[in-house]
Order: sequence, then C-alpha cells, then structure tokens
Amino acid sequence: MKKKLIILFGFLFLIGLSACSNGQRVGTSKEALIVGIDDSFVPMGFQTSAGKLTGFDVAVAQKVGQVIHRKLIFQTIDWSMKETELRNGTIDLIWNGYTKTPERAAKVYFSHPYLRNQQVVVVKKADHITTLKQLQNKTVGVQSGSTGYEDLMQQPQILKNIIRNQTPVQYDNIQNGMLDLKAGRIQGFLIDRVFAEYYLKHDRQQHQYQILVTPYRSENFAVGMRKHDYALQKQIDQALKHLKDTGQLKSLSEQWFGKDITQ
Amino acid sequence: MTYIGKILPSLLNGAKVTLLLFAITLILSIPLGVLLSWGLRSKVKPLKWILSCYVWLMRGTPLLLQLIFIFYGLPTIGIVFERFTAAAVAFTLNYAAYFAEIFRGGLQAVSQDQREAAAVLGLSRLQAFRFIVWPQVLKIVLPSIGNEVINLIKDSSLVYVLGIGDLLRAGNVATARDVTLLPLLLVGIIYLAMTAILTYIQTKIEQRFSYYE
Repeated sequence: MKKKLIILFGFLFLIGLSACSNGQRVGTSKEALIVGIDDSFVPMGFQTSAGKLTGFDVAVAQKVGQVIHRKLIFQTIDWSMKETELRNGTIDLIWNGYTKTPERAAKVYFSHPYLRNQQVVVVKKADHITTLKQLQNKTVGVQSGSTGYEDLMQQPQILKNIIRNQTPVQYDNIQNGMLDLKAGRIQGFLIDRVFAEYYLKHDRQQHQYQILVTPYRSENFAVGMRKHDYALQKQIDQALKHLKDTGQLKSLSEQWFGKDITQ
Repeated sequence: MTYIGKILPSLLNGAKVTLLLFAITLILSIPLGVLLSWGLRSKVKPLKWILSCYVWLMRGTPLLLQLIFIFYGLPTIGIVFERFTAAAVAFTLNYAAYFAEIFRGGLQAVSQDQREAAAVLGLSRLQAFRFIVWPQVLKIVLPSIGNEVINLIKDSSLVYVLGIGDLLRAGNVATARDVTLLPLLLVGIIYLAMTAILTYIQTKIEQRFSYYE
C-alpha cells in the first residue's frame, strides 16, 4: 500500500513538473528572437542600477531588431554555457562582445564582424612596466575561456614563454582579475581593449594603471547564431550593413567608446 | 549612502528570486523527503535499493553539476525545462535526498518497542505513527532541518549557471558595472538578514515542539 502511494506520488510529481514546462516557448520561434547576454559584461551589455539593460551591443541589437521587424528578448545567460544554450534553442543569438574565432566558427554561424577589438595587458604604473618584455618572470592573469586566453596559448612566443611558470592565472570574470591586479598578486592582466578602457575609465584609481598594446592578431566582434540558420544570418548581415551605411553604428561607437572602432 | 539607495532595489529584486526558489524548494522537498524516508525503511527490497541509489546519486554529485545536467543536458534527449523550473526541479530533487536521510534518522531513533507497545494497546499502525512516532520524530529532526534550510538559502546562488538573476548575481552585475566591491558587501548583509530571520523562526518552532521536557 505504502509502495503504491509512493509510486503514485512520484508520478504525480513528474506530471506536475512536466506540466510546468509545457507552454513555455523555447527557441526557434519565428516571432521573437532571444538574445543571450551576460548582464555583467560592461560595456557591451549590462544592467543599469535601475535594472534596465544597456550597453553598446544591446543598443545595436535593438536597432537591428527594428530594421528586421523582429521583437528581441534579452535573456541573461552564464557566459561559459553560451554555445550550449544556442544549440538547445534556449537562445537564438549570442550577442555580447562575441569574438569571431575559427574554433567557434566550427560550432556556430557568425554575422559579418561589426566591431574591432584587440588584446591588451593592463599593468600598474608603480611596477614600472612599459613593454611586454618587462613581464619576464611576472605573474600574468587572463579570463578563462576568453579569446585572450586562446591567443596566449596559441602564440606562446609573445607572452606565455616569458611569464612566471609559463602559466597564466585564470579568472572567472574580469572584475576578479582587476581586483587581483590591484592587490598586487598579479602584475599584468590580459583582456579585451574595450573592457580595459571601460574599467580604467570607471575606476577611481585609474591614474595608477596603464595599457600595453600586444601584437596578437586583432579581433572582430560578431553575432553568433545556430548553424544552418541561413535566413537569420542574411537578415542580420543586411541590417548591420544598413546601420553602418546610415552612420548609426558609428555614432553608437562614438557614444560608447569615444571613437569609431566599427568595421 | 546615496549609492546604496541606488543599487538596493536591484539587489532586493535578486533577493526576491532567491526567496522564491527557496520557498518552492522547501515546500516540495520536505514532503518528498518524508515519503522517501518511508521508502528507505521499507521491507520491499527493490524499492529500498532504488531509493538508496537515488540518495547516493543526489548526495554524491555536486548540486552545480545536477543543475547543469537538468537544464543543459536533458534537452539533448528532448526534455526541455524553462530556466526557473529546471532550478526548482534540481533543488527539490537534491534537497529531498538530504531530508529523506534526516527523517530516516528521526524514524530510526524511535525505538521499535514503542511501536510494539502501541500495537498491544490496540492502536492501528497509522494511529501509532500519528500519535506516538511522528511527534517524537519531529522533535528529533528539527535542528538538522534547520541546518539544511540555512544551507538552501545560500546554495540558491548556484543558479547563476542557468543565467537566473538571483541576489548574488545582482551583486556581481553591480560590481562589474560600478567597479566597486560595496554591492557584494550589501549582498552579504542581505544573506545574513535572511538567515537571522530563518534562525529566529527555527527557534520559535523548536519552542513550540518542546513537549515531553
């Protein structure tokens, strides 16, 4: 009797749960597009203190949405899970300072690149480091899973071979790396230029830091979408081209970065 | 001070998500834990074996892994949960396993003699459970349950991996945006406040059940 009750309850429980999940629209709808973003990714996409989403990529995405007449829903995601979210259909676009790389191109479709980016090393002025060579035997940090990390590993002659232990310290997010740099446990932090500039602009001790340019290949930010989503790729490319031709992309770049770094 | 006022609403919004997940998990996992604990003491061997495996699985793997598996892994075999549902399912299944073990311990602590004595006095098994065993079990399990409840409110921060904006994530977002650690300090204070309230409630409940003393 007890056993039957337990089985019955178990079934009811499962039915209840599956009922909850029904009716939820997930991915690949023809109406709205779900844009996956990390809402702490300044200055590309982040929440204001009033809880509103803002940032360069959010602004561009909204304009693209207007051009292609599709409603956009912004969904916060964990950045390390972005390609899985895309594959599972829980998001339709990855659009948040997403660098186009050959490895990623094997898994997702990319739009035309719309923004130029570069890897830089942030150092403390007090350490008197002015060239990459001076990072010899120093501890260097990088965000795990970032393009900076890939660059570091793929072109070891530039930086990896000279830093302490030939191994970088990896951080989950940019702010932790910056905190560690501040605390002096690392002497250099390899990150995207757009993020480095935002951080230095908003830190009260900004005058204590400087940015070293690296010779890593320059990078491009593009929009990621599911493989074989040809129609969507075409739509987004056309919309981005339209924004570029009408100067809207340039003015957004100037508004967010103080200069035109679009392409 | 003005800065605190500015970011507090977004933190409190995050706290709402944390509390909602907390409440749903607690309401679902405690009854499920009680049922499982009966099963774990069942004389039906296959049932007992299956439930022991379940408890082993849930307690033996990280909750973070279970969250990832349920939200990101299950869609590959066609089971798609909405974000918050996935979090509630993972937390309920995980916590039910812990509660089951707590209740099993509580049930075992009441000696078999008492059940036999109740039978001799002519009480049915259900009556013996309701009036003799259960009141004692409740008293025994309350402190352990309180432990799990406080763990739960903090564990809820693991939902970041599903992109759910809970209290800790709200603090992280503000930290990234404003380049200061102050939001995280506030997050800590809010967690402490929630735990203080829960501890107070637990003390009250334990007083209410302080019979036989």
